[in-house]
Amino acid sequence: MINLNVNQKAYQVDADPNMPLLWVIRDIIGLTGTKYGCGVAQCGACTVHLNGEAVRSCVTRVSRAEGQKVVTIEGLSANNSHPAQVAWNEENVPQCGYCHSGQIMSAAVLLRENPDPSDEDIDAAMAGNICRCGTYLRIRKAIHLAAGLQRKENAS
Amino acid sequence: MKQQSNSHKYSGTIRAFTVVGVLLSVICIMAFGIDAGKHTAAPLNLTVKKDSVASVKAFKQVYTVLMSARCMNCHPSGNIPLQGDDSHLHVMSPRRGVDGKGVYAMKCANCHQATNTPGLHTPPGNPNWHLPPASMKMVFQGKTPRQLAQQLVNPKQNGNKDLKKLIEHADDGLVLAGWNPGEGRTLPPISHAAFKKAWITWLTTGAYAPKDK
Amino acid sequence: MSTGTLSRRDFLRAGGITGAALCLGFSFSSDGKEAKVIVAADADRQAIEMNAWIKIDADGKVTLVDHRAEMGQGSYQSVPQIIAEELEVDLKDIQVIFAQGDPKKYGGQITGGSSTVRDSYKKLLKLSATAREVLIAAAAAKWQVAATACYAQAGHVINRSSGKKFHYGELVAAASKLPAPQNIVLKKRSDYKLIGKPLHRKDTPLKTNGAAVFGLDKKLPGMLYAVVERNPRFRGKVKSFDAVAAKKVAGVKDVFTVKMEVFNTIREGVAVVATSTWAAMQGRKALKVVWDDSGFEHINIADIYTRQQQELKKEGISFKKQGDPDSALAQAANALDVVYQTPYQAHSAMEPLNCIAHYQKDKVEIWGPIQAPDWVQGNISQKFGVPIDNVRVNMTFLGGGFGRKAFLDYPYEATMISKHIGGPVQVVWSREDDTTQGPYRAGVSYRAQGAITNGEISAVKFRMAGQNIDHWSNPKRGVANDSTTEGFLAPYFASIKNISFADVPFEIPIPNMWWRSVYASTNGFAYESFMNELAHQAGKDPLAFRRVYLKDDRCQKLIDKMEEISGYKDRKKGDGFGVAITECFGTTVGQVVKVSRENGGKIKIDKVWAVVDCGWYVNPDIIQAQVEGSVLMALGAATMHEITFKEGVAEQQNFYNYPMPRINDMPQVIVHVIDNDADAGGVGEPGLPPFAPALTEAIFDLTGKRIRKLPFDMANV
Repeated sequence: MINLNVNQKAYQVDADPNMPLLWVIRDIIGLTGTKYGCGVAQCGACTVHLNGEAVRSCVTRVSRAEGQKVVTIEGLSANNSHPAQVAWNEENVPQCGYCHSGQIMSAAVLLRENPDPSDEDIDAAMAGNICRCGTYLRIRKAIHLAAGLQRKENAS
Repeated sequence: MKQQSNSHKYSGTIRAFTVVGVLLSVICIMAFGIDAGKHTAAPLNLTVKKDSVASVKAFKQVYTVLMSARCMNCHPSGNIPLQGDDSHLHVMSPRRGVDGKGVYAMKCANCHQATNTPGLHTPPGNPNWHLPPASMKMVFQGKTPRQLAQQLVNPKQNGNKDLKKLIEHADDGLVLAGWNPGEGRTLPPISHAAFKKAWITWLTTGAYAPKDK
Repeated sequence: MSTGTLSRRDFLRAGGITGAALCLGFSFSSDGKEAKVIVAADADRQAIEMNAWIKIDADGKVTLVDHRAEMGQGSYQSVPQIIAEELEVDLKDIQVIFAQGDPKKYGGQITGGSSTVRDSYKKLLKLSATAREVLIAAAAAKWQVAATACYAQAGHVINRSSGKKFHYGELVAAASKLPAPQNIVLKKRSDYKLIGKPLHRKDTPLKTNGAAVFGLDKKLPGMLYAVVERNPRFRGKVKSFDAVAAKKVAGVKDVFTVKMEVFNTIREGVAVVATSTWAAMQGRKALKVVWDDSGFEHINIADIYTRQQQELKKEGISFKKQGDPDSALAQAANALDVVYQTPYQAHSAMEPLNCIAHYQKDKVEIWGPIQAPDWVQGNISQKFGVPIDNVRVNMTFLGGGFGRKAFLDYPYEATMISKHIGGPVQVVWSREDDTTQGPYRAGVSYRAQGAITNGEISAVKFRMAGQNIDHWSNPKRGVANDSTTEGFLAPYFASIKNISFADVPFEIPIPNMWWRSVYASTNGFAYESFMNELAHQAGKDPLAFRRVYLKDDRCQKLIDKMEEISGYKDRKKGDGFGVAITECFGTTVGQVVKVSRENGGKIKIDKVWAVVDCGWYVNPDIIQAQVEGSVLMALGAATMHEITFKEGVAEQQNFYNYPMPRINDMPQVIVHVIDNDADAGGVGEPGLPPFAPALTEAIFDLTGKRIRKLPFDMANV
């Protein structure tokens, strides 16, 4: 049995310690917002927060997450209210939407570490997340918007 | 050259020409020269016996290793690591960051685990995966043997390593990772044991920098 | 939740409606082309089995069916945006559900050819206006006034003189007993409140918190997971396999041979069924399979193009010809005769293929990211001998499709596996499976000949040699089809006297299929590049040259707009501007691309301007998004990736050797949508074909280098 804390909820899962965190989250815990895209850390669709860092769950053994704090897209905010989520909606970012759980989880780390990211900072943070629909221009706009929302939130 | 004046600390004079003198003294490298598999710490009673011929010869071997993809890929000239046997720019352009461990959502450890991920084309792993920090980039890419040799023994460019620390560095976890690169990746041109032997020989024979052609 | 193929009573039950409801749908003619609006009262009276497209319950809640797949192109927004306009309801009060596959109820459902809006907007407008009018009629009867004394607004019918109002929900009981009113008058475009506005998509909130259910996210009770080690060659079979080690992997339940059949072509593989995706993948790694690859050619990529270019010496099958281009070419002094080459491409939707099937004796139910639920229904029914009404095909959200998910192979295979294990199963394709198995956009070679005489085009002759979908999927092999001219602007035919198109048949055992914008995506590169080459031959500016040959009014306005928004007229020669214009699926798109050289020599795209003439449209923001996405997909196909084959096996597996453009590769894209009253054209695909020829023309303008072979490396021009 492996003890996990996902979205502030404790789970005991019966899984091979080598099983990637992705499949534990999806197939065992049943949270399907985290996506399988490539299985080799190329596309970022599986990005979750492990102790706050945007790890690629498809190459992260579940044993690494044991006793650590995992946050998935479902747990990023209670009500789609993280500044990135708000901005994603405001800027009409998703098309097919499949990659955006990962995109938003990456953006959330950027926004935490840099309250006012430049286009270059955004590229540096987001180049690990592939979007085949080509929503990149909107991702960039949404991150700028989210940064503004976050600054307002912090000021008030 | 400015760098040269800093590189005399322990290795004696590093010269631009190949010294032809032969020094016959035997030095004590037995304890750390051969058994690389056990990663034993280097002994402390180091004796440097200058031998420019042996030193330059040893460095030639060292250079082939350091310039192999397994070493050079994390010592890039820019702020983006290299990748693959052909040392192309790392896809998805992860950045060095201040501490060499990446930035924002693109920190090395987000993909590079404590151990290699099974399978071809998967991220190789190490608990301490990183590039040299922004304050001391320790660039290998594009360096001539002479430039690299000078850089390696310059504490202002080598992570403040003295001779002892340099010798110990042969058994550093990330250096060893070069010989455990994950499926499908070419190993450095010589074994770790051979590398370590050449490395120590180079350092203990005066760390001579080869002359550029 | 899905509505299914249901009688009205079933529908009401399935919808959880116990009280009254107003339901409207269509009765389709047997060929699916004509649609007659029917209300539930008609259905009862005429004993027509109907499926409500619009349903309004006693609480006033409106439920709409999206009959098409939502794969990013926006049907989940555009269908309700159309219906809400004439129905006079607030978009936020509408719940959208996906239809099951059933052409009798919804007409054609294939989400392809950029057809969701253009195929159905007129009937959806009529349907929703009918719903509004029947509610007005019910209210008028209650108030005992003429229908004209009432109007509808925001989910209410309002009495003009008294100002009294009924909520729609209060009217559905009475309205559901009324016949469908005839002679419905639709709104004028100038009166639209929703259509034509850049409204937010209804699916966005679901796609920012993990709630949207894609195919891979659907789970059924007792469902097992399967992965399949398929023969790496499309027509290959299994000779034998050793499953001893695979069966020892914890969670692995069963290992067996499975075949995947499509268009009477069979690929075999070995399925590993397990309790989790991971366990199935581990089991697969432990498998040992011996393949039977006899009886078909194992081709290398170089041979494909060599042979195509050999074949291009032949005349091929004429598809379209006017005048006498051969004589004109023979008489011309400096005729051009060049070859263009375009690569095989994988679809690489972010959601790899997957499908759930549950086979139970005489019924089958399917869930998955499916572009053509009606086709899947028909195919499963036919291949498994299950009555068509017992095959239920449910569309989830699609994590991208691009044509791949209109193929029938993966639901077929999932059904085979479910039948074998006797329970529900989700078949998961790895990224490697998705990349290596195809079907692909075919790599096509073109031969373009043309002549300029006295500054004007005197002849154009195009031949294409590449795998043709119709040639291998249809019994009508060897007949030229309109794939040959796809993408080419029809107005050229009015002004180029001597012109011909021919298809030189080229068939090999590599699976190929539609890929976003289909043959326009490769034709556009060849034909529009050649127009640029002819312009230079004539000593004319490429855009001014097109003005001469595209006399059609819509094209002239498109060119005006291209010039206007890009500052094209102010540029200097050598500034790095390129243009191209293509048409597909009823929409014309012109693009201007501006490039420059970075320090270090790499070509950099400064900006892309796109002008879209798609006639009537629903949501300009979705159009803009689709063009942005099309440009990026075209950029990847032109400069980053290509599928190649070694002895019939694809050489690329995943994003590490089939690299995708990333955020740092995305050029700025400016989109302008033209307003006119023409019929609606498609939106999802037409933005793609003009990009590559405009880009290579821009590079020619900057560097003098003509690129005729894709993909090319922007760092090495």
